[in-house]
Amino acid sequence: MRSPFAYIPRPGPLQAASPAAAVAYLGALVAVAFLFSSPLVLVALGAGLALAGRLAGAWGAVRAAIRLGLAIALPIVVVNALVVNRGETVLARLGDWPLLGQVDVSAEALADGAVFGLRAVVVMIAFAVYSACVDPDRVLRALRPFAARSALTATLVSRLVPVAAADAARLRDAARLRGSGAAAVGRAPLARRLLAGSLDRAVDVAATLELRGYSLEPPRTPLRRRVAEGLWTPGGPKPFRRASRFDPRFYLVGVTVLVAAIVGKLLGADGFDAYPAIQLGLSPATVALSALLVLSGLAPYRRSSRPMGRRRPRSGRSRPTEPAVPRGPGAAAIPLGGSGV
Amino acid sequence: MGPGPQRSPWGVLVSELAIRRGAAPALAIEALGYTYPRAPGSALADISLEIAPGEFVLLAGRSASGKSTLLKAACGLVPHFHGGEIEGAIAVADLDALAAGPAELASAVGYVAQDPETQVVSTTVSAEIQLPLEMRGDDAASRARAIEEVALALAIPHLLDRTVDTLSGGELQRVALAAALVTRPSLVLLDEPTSQLDPVAGDELIWLLRRLNEEWGVAVLLAEHRLERCLAAADRVIAMDSGSIAFDGPPGDFLSWSQASDPALTTPAARLFSLAGITPLPIGVRAARQLLASSSPTEAGAGTPSERLQLLGRGAHGQPPALHPSKLREEGVPAPATPALLTRDLWVELTRTDAPHDVLRGIDLTLTRGQPVALMGRNGAGKSTLLKAAAGLIDPARGKLETPGGIALLTQNPSDYLVRERVGDELPGEAGLAALRVVGLEHAVDADPRDLSGGERQRLALAIALAGQLEGEALPGLIALDEPTRGMDRARKDDLVALIAELAGRGAGVVVATHDVEFAAAFAARVVLLGDGVVIADGPAREVLSGGWYFATEVARVLDLPGVVTPEQGAAALRGEEGEGDG
Repeated sequence: MRSPFAYIPRPGPLQAASPAAAVAYLGALVAVAFLFSSPLVLVALGAGLALAGRLAGAWGAVRAAIRLGLAIALPIVVVNALVVNRGETVLARLGDWPLLGQVDVSAEALADGAVFGLRAVVVMIAFAVYSACVDPDRVLRALRPFAARSALTATLVSRLVPVAAADAARLRDAARLRGSGAAAVGRAPLARRLLAGSLDRAVDVAATLELRGYSLEPPRTPLRRRVAEGLWTPGGPKPFRRASRFDPRFYLVGVTVLVAAIVGKLLGADGFDAYPAIQLGLSPATVALSALLVLSGLAPYRRSSRPMGRRRPRSGRSRPTEPAVPRGPGAAAIPLGGSGV
Repeated sequence: MGPGPQRSPWGVLVSELAIRRGAAPALAIEALGYTYPRAPGSALADISLEIAPGEFVLLAGRSASGKSTLLKAACGLVPHFHGGEIEGAIAVADLDALAAGPAELASAVGYVAQDPETQVVSTTVSAEIQLPLEMRGDDAASRARAIEEVALALAIPHLLDRTVDTLSGGELQRVALAAALVTRPSLVLLDEPTSQLDPVAGDELIWLLRRLNEEWGVAVLLAEHRLERCLAAADRVIAMDSGSIAFDGPPGDFLSWSQASDPALTTPAARLFSLAGITPLPIGVRAARQLLASSSPTEAGAGTPSERLQLLGRGAHGQPPALHPSKLREEGVPAPATPALLTRDLWVELTRTDAPHDVLRGIDLTLTRGQPVALMGRNGAGKSTLLKAAAGLIDPARGKLETPGGIALLTQNPSDYLVRERVGDELPGEAGLAALRVVGLEHAVDADPRDLSGGERQRLALAIALAGQLEGEALPGLIALDEPTRGMDRARKDDLVALIAELAGRGAGVVVATHDVEFAAAFAARVVLLGDGVVIADGPAREVLSGGWYFATEVARVLDLPGVVTPEQGAAALRGEEGEGDG
């Protein structure tokens, strides 16, 4: 069974965007989660990310992230309430506990823990959207010229993790199918067997990588190669690039969100203090920033092209559209899958 | 050693054209010897051969005869990746393979391994195909064009945006082939690429290779066990034995050689002709039909073979059989007295990609004790799912499923059952010993499972599945084997046929999910054919395996006689004997 966080290619703007643009967009939202403690801002951020996931077709990943995030958040709230003895509004006195001493559960500690938990949920949603929408191959490809060995390791791991998961499922099935007269199989022998099998698999995958040419010198980017070959000088025409037409949108939204968050922080939009008593500020700046964060979730929205109908565009007034096939020497070939290759 | 290298007219033509163009051989090997690290003996010894550009060469031989090692040497994995000691010389399109590593050779030679699962390293198909170009430093524009062309050539443009974990075995194998071909190599090496494919996907792959060979001029070196599938496509056959070349010549001569020297390597059609006393031996179904039409009267029968086939009702099927259990009784198969598996309106739902999918759709099936049954169908038809549901690994969504006498299931990878380092530790006590006796491995109690041969490991895994379910000499009501012949040569398949017969003879129902129609014809009394989760044919093996195109034996396709599926049956029919080879 596939992980709900697994990448699934879809014809959406977020999937089509270059990894850098997607990371800039989602990274800006995650940065806001760490900059702010205001529950309103965090909820708005979570809503924005969930909206982005929904529009990008990753609703399953978002739901799984919310479930997982809540499972992480609940212990955070409980532990924070037990270990933090601050806050004016004591809800329960639990007496002396070993190691912890006097344990008082306060509303402030609960609220503080809830904000930590909320932040965890928001970050989980962001990573879920990233994982389900950003092609890991493109990320590795982008990294390869800078860190070939690390990219190789990441490639091996990214391939071997699902393979090992499938192997583990098969080994569990085989263990269940053993006759009652065969020696029982505990977790340790299964883990040993899985490890040995994974090593064999790793050797096979490494051989395949070798055959694909991975041990060659790290490939140069087209620009670096042209510079190296003397075919390009600064100021000359740029070589073929595979940027998506959606990239500027994600960069713009990411920068806008980050700038607004910094400005909002300076203007006091982060109006939340847990101790000594809960203070929740709802200044116009907080509300405006929250609204912006919710709206930032619309970034992956894609408007379908509408048919022109029966009317033919009048000569000279038709709007130019992006050419499907670039022309001229050195031009790009047909982009595949809507995202370039 | 067989006769010296001879070429078919096509092979001679392409070689001459290549030589006129001044092209180097696609592969040249001189006095090659190789020993794996810490191995007691050599894997290859004194190998010398040359493959011309555009030649299609079939590499035959039993298991462990050195075929895979030779392919790995040709692509540089041996010795650069595996280590070991090597001597001699290997040149791939003028590149010295012993000096250059696999990465440097990647532009000249493509390699496709047996298991498609382990030869994909990317998440999406398009990324997988473009990886070799990227490593070579090709720019994005030329990568895009190369991907488009290779995808069109292999008919996989619709797969480009899919993730590799959503592909079937056949699709995955095509993607691996695309990744091997995208650099436009002059030579492509394939190590049993059809072993995990159903007959449809396997035939498609072989003819795809032939088309690429003819239209792109790619030289092909293909290692295969099921020679009947690809012999007709080959220009030349190289047979290996114990690491050396035992034969090198055209397919027709190979059949004569294999009849005399190693009958396990011969094809069913050739065996049919040999038993019927007809010469020359055919290299494929088409050649066999043409030879039958033009052959003279056989010694035993009256009239020419062609006349006898007409008398026997050649082509009388009209359409592929779609039999059902009621028909089974009419055909003489015993009525289900003691059921081993009983399903009624069985539905099983699994999640594929991110959506639930009905894999089995209302299966009604009764299998009986003592009856060997072949469960066949395309990849993804639901064979493994049915067996897993019967074994309780998958819960049905709806319907009734019973295995009254219990079930022992051997899944596709016998190694999954082997987790300890001593056979006796896997199967302790009297119950373990009893299970080992059933599969004939009682002598191997102290052996390490990893030291056993592939066939022995499979029998050991079966013993582990059976252990404790043996009361006296009785067995579980149903013994199920899922794709047990992957990568097996014919000798090992014959051993398995004998084991299945013994288990059925002891009163167990035996059901084997398999793509191998020749194997099914050898062991099964009944064949159940699944198609997209429903039973589309169910009847005596001789009926089901003689009435279709893909799920039919080579002999059935040659003779086109109802109920004639094995060489023995076919030869008897051609000789005009009663019973057509029964018994």
